[in-house]
Amino acid sequence: MEISANTKKIHRNENIARGVIWGFAGLTILILAWILGFILYRGFYSNNVVGYKYTDMSSDVLTLNDGSEVIFIANKGIRVKDLTADSMQELYTHVIRELNKWSDYTEQSVLCQPIAYKDESPFNSSVKAFLLGKEGLDNWKSYTTYAVDSRQMIEKVAETKGALGYIPAGDRNLLTKDVVPIPLRSIQVAMNSEALAIKDNRSFQEFTEDTLKAIFAGKVVSMTSIGGIGIAPLPAIAPNVNRSLTDNWFGPEFIPKQFDTMEGFYDYMSRNPGAVGLVDYTGYIPSDSYETVTVQRRERGMNLDLWFLIEKPAEGNAGGISYFIINTLFMILMTLLFSAPIGILAAVYLVEYAKQGPLVTVLRMGTETLAGIPSIVFGLFGRIFFVNILGMGIGFISSTLTVTLMILPTLVRTSEEALKAVPPILREGSMGLGATKWQTIFRVVLPAASQGILTGVILAVGRVAGETAVLLYTLGSSYDLVRNLHSPARVLSLHLYLLFSEAVSFDRAFATGTVLVIIVLITNLLTRRLIRKNKQMAGR
Amino acid sequence: MATMIEVRKLDLHYGDFKALHGIDMEIEENEVTALIGPSGCGKSTFIRTINRMNDLIDSVRIDGEIYYGGENIYDDRYDVIELRKRIGMVFQKPNPFPMSIYDNIAYGPRIHGKKNKAELDILVEKSLHHAALWDEVKDRIHSPAMGLSGGQQQRLCLARTLAVEPDVVLMDEPTSALDPVSTAKIEDLVHELKKDYTIVIVTHNMQQAGRISDRTAFFLNGYIEEFGTTDQIFFNPVSSKTEAYISGKFG
Repeated sequence: MEISANTKKIHRNENIARGVIWGFAGLTILILAWILGFILYRGFYSNNVVGYKYTDMSSDVLTLNDGSEVIFIANKGIRVKDLTADSMQELYTHVIRELNKWSDYTEQSVLCQPIAYKDESPFNSSVKAFLLGKEGLDNWKSYTTYAVDSRQMIEKVAETKGALGYIPAGDRNLLTKDVVPIPLRSIQVAMNSEALAIKDNRSFQEFTEDTLKAIFAGKVVSMTSIGGIGIAPLPAIAPNVNRSLTDNWFGPEFIPKQFDTMEGFYDYMSRNPGAVGLVDYTGYIPSDSYETVTVQRRERGMNLDLWFLIEKPAEGNAGGISYFIINTLFMILMTLLFSAPIGILAAVYLVEYAKQGPLVTVLRMGTETLAGIPSIVFGLFGRIFFVNILGMGIGFISSTLTVTLMILPTLVRTSEEALKAVPPILREGSMGLGATKWQTIFRVVLPAASQGILTGVILAVGRVAGETAVLLYTLGSSYDLVRNLHSPARVLSLHLYLLFSEAVSFDRAFATGTVLVIIVLITNLLTRRLIRKNKQMAGR
Repeated sequence: MATMIEVRKLDLHYGDFKALHGIDMEIEENEVTALIGPSGCGKSTFIRTINRMNDLIDSVRIDGEIYYGGENIYDDRYDVIELRKRIGMVFQKPNPFPMSIYDNIAYGPRIHGKKNKAELDILVEKSLHHAALWDEVKDRIHSPAMGLSGGQQQRLCLARTLAVEPDVVLMDEPTSALDPVSTAKIEDLVHELKKDYTIVIVTHNMQQAGRISDRTAFFLNGYIEEFGTTDQIFFNPVSSKTEAYISGKFG
């Protein structure tokens, strides 16, 4: 069969059109998957580089200057990861008891209760000197409580939430399952000051674990390759460093210069511009000629975990988001309770009862305009009208009413469209059987329109869950659960915004965002199920 | 045989357009009255005046009287709900409600206050039997009505109307959206139903009018051109226009 030139052209155009359409559709799907994937990935999995003045090596036994070995222990309610040695000093010497919380170390808003021994045994004197020496104190803080021996110390730590204590390493066998030893990082990296000075606009300030390992394996010839000035690094290790830790961490290529005494190590550090030394914090003596440097550590882990969901919220980096989830659901419920009946009935009026004329046209234009107004304008209105003029104050009821007003126009519009889409012959059929107008609307028109109305309601739920601007003005920022209509609170979206704007934590922001995404996802799925049931009945 | 409905000097305006001009007609009990005529002649408009369905359209104005049971249904005191209960209607396109077959049939009785489950069950079965649909749907009476075929849907709508137990059934081109087999079923039904009901049927199909009706009214341009027994209209028309239409010269 002969194919004419024109037919060929038509086929070619057809293929081009199909290619373009597929391309754009694919791109859209790709973008959506990328966004959602990125948020969920960052929400569930944290992967951060954090700088510490310590290396990654940790041990639950800390060796003090005089050789005494101490194990720090905490109540098992404390989610202990590895901590730095100086955090123990801080927890024993915090100036204000009420602020002495675990927040900064374990994200738990739990008061820390330090426990010590009163006796003047060499072991206790040594630990006391270590813990209090940094602040130059002679006596334990007044809020410290005391135990007489290791056994009692363990008992006390086991029964007090947030308790922190210590025992000699020799009493390790006394530990019970209610008490956890705290792994501590105490090995620091010191460098000669000359290598750290700014030269030719270059300044070497930080190590990564990899550079540290390379230096101590002798693979770094000049520090220029790791961002410093042109000096060869001279790895050294102080005698107070626990060698079993370093040998494990660095592996067989570990080749530092070794010393018999601490004096020898410090002398070497002071005199060699390229000196890079490992030294345990407990025996570190500051000096002008060398400094400790920051080591970058990559911290990976579960970001959004069960704990984060069920823990009571607290300020800053501590606590979970349980209250915010409840507040959010509560707010969605309340706004729907207010807005759905009003919105649907208004739509029923506009479609079924109102005489189509100028008044209805103006009403329609009004709702359309209101639906398009940025939510922050509604926030401003709510702040002045509900909070000030009606005197409801900043709190749950003011914000719920404002959000209700915000979603009402959209709800009216979508319900209106849904009602209009119901074929007139259904109304005639019902009226022809002798049904009244309201019977027809309630029993035939609304059920037939329910799918469209539900779609509008889902959109509204999404908007309520994601609303921030309105709440910023009307809800406040309390960490508490909504206990009455006037209590200020936070919902997830607002919490997310505040986390971000106050630069508290990206991990928490992403975890909160993920929870929001999941809530909206669940709402959609549930409504879809509802709609499917409805559809089956409607046979469409 | 008695006169069921009496139409006197009925005029109907859509806004400024006069759609019906001085209609006079008697509809006899237990008979099938067919309304025929070309498109736009006013036959559908007329049938909707009998149960006041035109009330739903804002711009309609009606003058004249329709007597039913001795009362003028266009009297201000006449209750339109009662009227539609007694004069039911089946529409051009099947319009089952988006609910189950059972609920569709029970809809009318329920809105009129019948709540007893056993009574409703009996009524639903009886109505479906009446509409010759029972045997086809008895096993899936609680499944969606929208799942039925077009012909079945139309018989469902008929059953739904019968469940309200009316005196008169109005049918506005009930077979125009159906295939020939379904059409034949509906026609058989009409024949059966006239024993118990008075039927008024609008049809576009002259053969159908000839087959099923006792009386035929020929509408033209909003007037009744001719009204008489079906035999007379088909075989011995008075008006030349009627004859021209019947013989297919226009339409």
